[in-house]
Order: sequence, then structure tokens, then C-alpha cells
Amino acid sequence: MRMWIYIIRRVLLLLPVIIGVMTITFVLINALPIVDQMEALYGCTPKACDYTVGSPLYNRAYAALGFGEPVYTRWAVYMFHALTFNWGTVSAESSVGKSLLVGVATAGVPVATVFSWLLPYTLELALLSLAIILAVAIPLGNLAAVNRNRPVDQASRVLSFSGFALPSFLLGSLILIGAVIGIGSLINFGLIHTPWCPSGELVYSEFSGSWPTTACFAGDIYPSWLLHSGLQSTPTGFPTIDALIHGNYWLALDTLIRIILPALVIAFGTIAVLLRYVRNSMLEVMNLDFVRTARAKGVEESVVVNRHAGRNSLNVTLTVLGLTFAGFLAGFPVIESVFSLNGIGYILAIAVDNQIGSFDFGVIFGSVILFTYIIVTANIIVDVLYAYLDPRVRLG
Amino acid sequence: MWNEYKRTWYFFRRNTLAMVGLGIILAFVIVAVYAIATPVPWNALTLYCGTSGGTVSCANEVCTYTPPAAPPGPNCYATPNGFPAFVAPTISLSTLSLGPLPFGSLSTTDGGTPYFYNIFDGLLRGTDWSLFISLSVVAGGALIGLLLGAVSGYMGGLVDETIMRLTDIFLSIPFILWVIIVVAVVSTDLGSVISASYLSIYILIVALMAVWWPTYTRIVRGQVLVVREQKYVEAARASGAKRGRIILRHIVPNSVYPVFVQMSLDVGTIPLLIGTLIFLGFKLFPTVYFPEWGDMAANAVNPFLITGIFDDCVIGLCTIPWWQLFFPGIVIFLFAISVNLFSDGVRDALDPRMRR
Repeated sequence: MRMWIYIIRRVLLLLPVIIGVMTITFVLINALPIVDQMEALYGCTPKACDYTVGSPLYNRAYAALGFGEPVYTRWAVYMFHALTFNWGTVSAESSVGKSLLVGVATAGVPVATVFSWLLPYTLELALLSLAIILAVAIPLGNLAAVNRNRPVDQASRVLSFSGFALPSFLLGSLILIGAVIGIGSLINFGLIHTPWCPSGELVYSEFSGSWPTTACFAGDIYPSWLLHSGLQSTPTGFPTIDALIHGNYWLALDTLIRIILPALVIAFGTIAVLLRYVRNSMLEVMNLDFVRTARAKGVEESVVVNRHAGRNSLNVTLTVLGLTFAGFLAGFPVIESVFSLNGIGYILAIAVDNQIGSFDFGVIFGSVILFTYIIVTANIIVDVLYAYLDPRVRLG
Repeated sequence: MWNEYKRTWYFFRRNTLAMVGLGIILAFVIVAVYAIATPVPWNALTLYCGTSGGTVSCANEVCTYTPPAAPPGPNCYATPNGFPAFVAPTISLSTLSLGPLPFGSLSTTDGGTPYFYNIFDGLLRGTDWSLFISLSVVAGGALIGLLLGAVSGYMGGLVDETIMRLTDIFLSIPFILWVIIVVAVVSTDLGSVISASYLSIYILIVALMAVWWPTYTRIVRGQVLVVREQKYVEAARASGAKRGRIILRHIVPNSVYPVFVQMSLDVGTIPLLIGTLIFLGFKLFPTVYFPEWGDMAANAVNPFLITGIFDDCVIGLCTIPWWQLFFPGIVIFLFAISVNLFSDGVRDALDPRMRR
């Protein structure tokens, strides 16, 4: 029962954050020219996208968004829409509206719907990255703490700083180039650099001899059995799971292979952060009395490190990890666009690329609001887990 | 006070990695000073010969020519020193050569027009721009954070509550998202006004500052809550010092160490951040070929290059222009890693528990 009260209290405390973020996005939207505001919040379809002053669409948007009303009314309207997942529609004139995502034209589709298509893709990538991070950061962090200031520790420090210091777009591109040139004949890397196509069609990579060629195609060059949208239905939206449901194991494998390299790049950057936390919290725990007692009792060193200290140092790690993972769900704009993976970050990267079309503010602001929900949920989950794992945290 | 500095320096000096970091930072500062001390006018040109057929035949040659005159050879490329500029109108990657030594040339593209520039020049001239942008964003953000944090921590009550909730709001979303929306809104509003002028750089700096302060506010507030209870603050209050004086003379000076550590960390991330924004397609600088490290690194992986590599590999002329990925990358990497090592050393030296 006390746990429920605790959860409700956490939710109430986070409400101001949600309202605050939305209010700031409202202020920023209002800083835009009125036509851009309408495009962002009202969107348009390819058939009718004329937002010149006085046009029917302009007048309808003017009334619907309450531009004649005072600011607080418009704020209330905006808040209502934002809270009810009504984040506008993809505008046909925007860069997103001019691109294909998941093989589908998105102009005129509500932003929240597009996000719901893309979130599973990002989630798969995030989970794979998380697995890599867990497998590397925790053992390595413990090792560094145990061997404090010895070569292992210094090496892990340099590794960790390298993760901070290497721009992910550079590392990602290097790995992509290396992979295409090195093992291009073994693995088809599929969609490469979609936003770079002048007219925004999908870029397919195709085998020609031993090297994959990249080109902008609107047609069906890619073998349809390897195309996610080639499946009859997508019950879950997760590409790998859908492929498995349909019994297409090659497609499932292909989807996984595609995200291994991006996941490695993401993991490399995140391990940098996590490694420091694991090491420092481990160092703190190692100095505590119960660890000394265990050693004094003659408990084996490996048991002291893994059982006594290791488990108790996980609390801090868990918090950082939870929030990092929530951050992952905001998408990886850079990595997803380097490797041309569908996802929340990829659509954001397209939305801010105004070489194809105008900025898609509906998508830009929508991803901020979506992310606010995600981070708030993640915060609550982490707090509750923390309270559950550490009885010393008072629920009061 | 002075003894404390000496002691910190003593412990800092024993940390080899941190000293290496400090050395690299000093080297960068010297290069930046050199770049500022020898300003290069727009029209001063260093020229180099290009090559054809994939062989580096005249990469070391320096031609002399003044812009209005015709170039002496068909592959003679003009590069305004410092502002890497236009070159060959049509070029295939298979004919791409290293270009001018020592670091080669960087090819980028603007709306299909390829541009080549001297990487050495770009990195040299980029040092002062990169340091200037990084330092001013971090200094501005830290200053705002310092003031807000100090006020919030010292005053408490409603002021504290308001400032901290605002900080929470900013910190609840990944930094990159804030930067993206602020830069997108600003560049839509001011696009026509600022294009092709230095104003865009200053606006970029202000936009970054506007979302940079919350981390500092939180750090400073935590620190102030500790400092505020110290005896010397109580003594100042007892002797009748005004609130503003206590904050500025007693509390702020004693809460700034963690801010310095955070600042030195942040300075290293700004070229990366700028590179990321440019990679995502933002126009942050007056030209596409601007001497700033982040810009150069982002341009090094431009679509022209990568699709070019893949296309050329298909026809069996696989050229990887490693130099244009490597040199800008290594400079950003060195800069970021050196400030990281440095701040790690400072933190360890300041923290009594970490001292050996």
C-alpha cells in the first residue's frame, strides 16, 4: 500500500515537468512565423497544402488553432492537444512529408501515428545496445575499481574518455565505410543514407558483382522477401518479431545484422559514461565496513568483489542505466541517419534537414513531447525499482 | 588560499594522464594564439595542384596566382587561406588525391557543387574559432548557472523552488533535443537576416548558452547549500554584510570548483555538438566550408564523399580518402580527450578521498 502512495506521489511531482516542457515548446512555437506554426500544428496533405494568408486552409487552421483568441486560450488549446497525443500532422511541404519512412509516404499522417510506427525500430536498436553496454561496462568497471590506478584502470579510463571524445557521426561513418568495403560482399547493408536522395526516395543498396551499389530508387529493386513492408501484416510493429511471427527467419536475421554495427557505435559512446559510474560506485562500496568484515572473515576475494561489493554497487548503476535507456528511446538522430535505420531519431534527423523540404516542426516538437512522456515514465520506474532494491530508501 | 592551490597542483602533477591532457590543451592554446596573431586576409591564396587519374603527381607544388588572373594549369586549385574555398567544378572521387600536404585536402559539397579545402589551413584557422565558440558558450552558460544556482541555494523558498523546477524541466530532456529545437526556431525566424554573415555564429553561441545553464545551476545550488552553513558565512551575516555581498564575495568563490571541472568537460564537447548539428543538416555558419573543427569533421563524412566511395568501389577504383576523415577527427578527439583527462585530474586533486 505504501508503495502505491509512493508511486502516486512521484507521478504528481513529475506533472510540473510535463506541463513545463510543453509550455516551453508552446513559447518556442509561438516564436515562429504564423504560417510555420500552422504547418507544424495543423499539417497538410499533398492535395491541399496552400498556407498563403487568406487561403481556405489558412482560415481553417486559424480558427482551429484559435489565433484570434488571447494567448492563454491558445496555450490551453495547445496543452490539450499535446496531452492527448494530438501533435499535428506531417506537412506535405516539409522534409518528412517528402520522404518515405518504413516504405510509406507520411504526408498528411498524424505525427503520433508516425511515431508509433517508428518507436519499435528504435526500441530494438536500444535493447541491443543496452545488452552490449551491460556486457561490457559492468565487468570492466568492476575490474577497473578492483585494480584502481593500475594499468587496467588507466586503460579503461582512456577507453571511457575516447567514447566521450569521438564524434558518433564520424565513428559511425568510418565503421559503415569499413563494413561496406570490408564485408560488403557478405552482408547487404540495405538502406544507406536515405536523406541524401535529392527527391527523397528510399535508397536501396543492391548487389552488383562483389560490391553493393547505392543509388536512389523509387522502385522495387530490393528483394521483396528482405523488405520489411513486404510482409503481409505487421502485428507488433517490431521488425524482428514480425518476421519471426511470419516464419521468415532470414528476414529476422537480416534485421538483427543491420542493427549490430549501429548498436556497437551507440554502446561505445554510452559505455564511456557508465564505466565511470560503475567504477566510482564500486570504489565507494569497497571502502565500506561490511566489505572489510567479509575480507576479515576470510571470504574469497572473488566472492567479496562479485557478491558483497558488486551487488551493492549496482544501485547507482541502475539509476544511470535507467535514465540512459530512456534517453535511448528519444532515438539516435545521428546513428540512425548514418546507417539509414528507421526510428524516432531518424525522423527527427529528416525533420531538421531543410534541404529536402521545410523543417517539420510538428515532428520536432512532437518528439520533444513524446520524449517528455518517456523520461517521466522512466523516472518513476527507476525510483520505484530503487526503492524496491534498497530498503534504506524511505517510501514516505 | 595560495597554499591550497599549491597543494592541488602537487597532487595534479603526480597524475600522468592529467598532465598529458594539460600539455595538449596548452599546445592547442598556442596554436590558437598563433592563428589569432597572424590573421589571414580573405584574398590571400595558397594554391595547390590537383591531380588526375588517381596518382598524386604534384601534391607538393605550390603555384602562385592572384584570383582575377587565370589559373596556370587545368588542375590548379585556389584555396583562400583560412577560408577554404571553391575548387574544381567537376570531379570524381576516383581522381581525388591527397592534395596539399601535410594534411591533404577536404572535399565537401554544397548543393552538388564540390568544394575542396586545405585541411591543414582549416584546422589551423579553426583552432581559434573552435576555442572561441566553445569557451564563450561554456563561460556564458556557467555564468548564468552560477548566478541562478547561487541565488537559488542562498535564498531558498519560492525562488529556489521556481528556479529548480525550471532546471528540472530543461534537464528532463536530452540536451541535443533542446539544441535542435532552439536552433531550428532561430534559423527559421532569422534565416534570411543572418545568412552569409558572422552574425549567425554569435546567434549560435547565444542559442547554445540558452540551454547550457541548467547543469551548472544544479551543481552550484548543491554546493551553495553546503557552503551557506559554513561559519564564515555566518560571521559575514553577523557583521552585517548585505545579501548580495555575501552571495558574490563568500558563497560564489567557495562553490566554483565543481563548476570549473564541469566547464572543462563541456568545452571539449562543443566541437562535437556543432559537428553533430551540421551533420544533421543545420546551416550554422555563413559558408558550408567554414574553418571550425566540428564543421570540418561533419563535412568529411558528407554524402558526396560516402556515396562517391561506394560508387567508385563498384567500378573497382576504391579510394578511401582517409586523410579527410582522420585529421579533423583526430583533432576533435585530442581536444575532447585532453580536456577530459585534465578535468578528471583536477577533480581527483581536489577530492581528498582520491588523493594518494
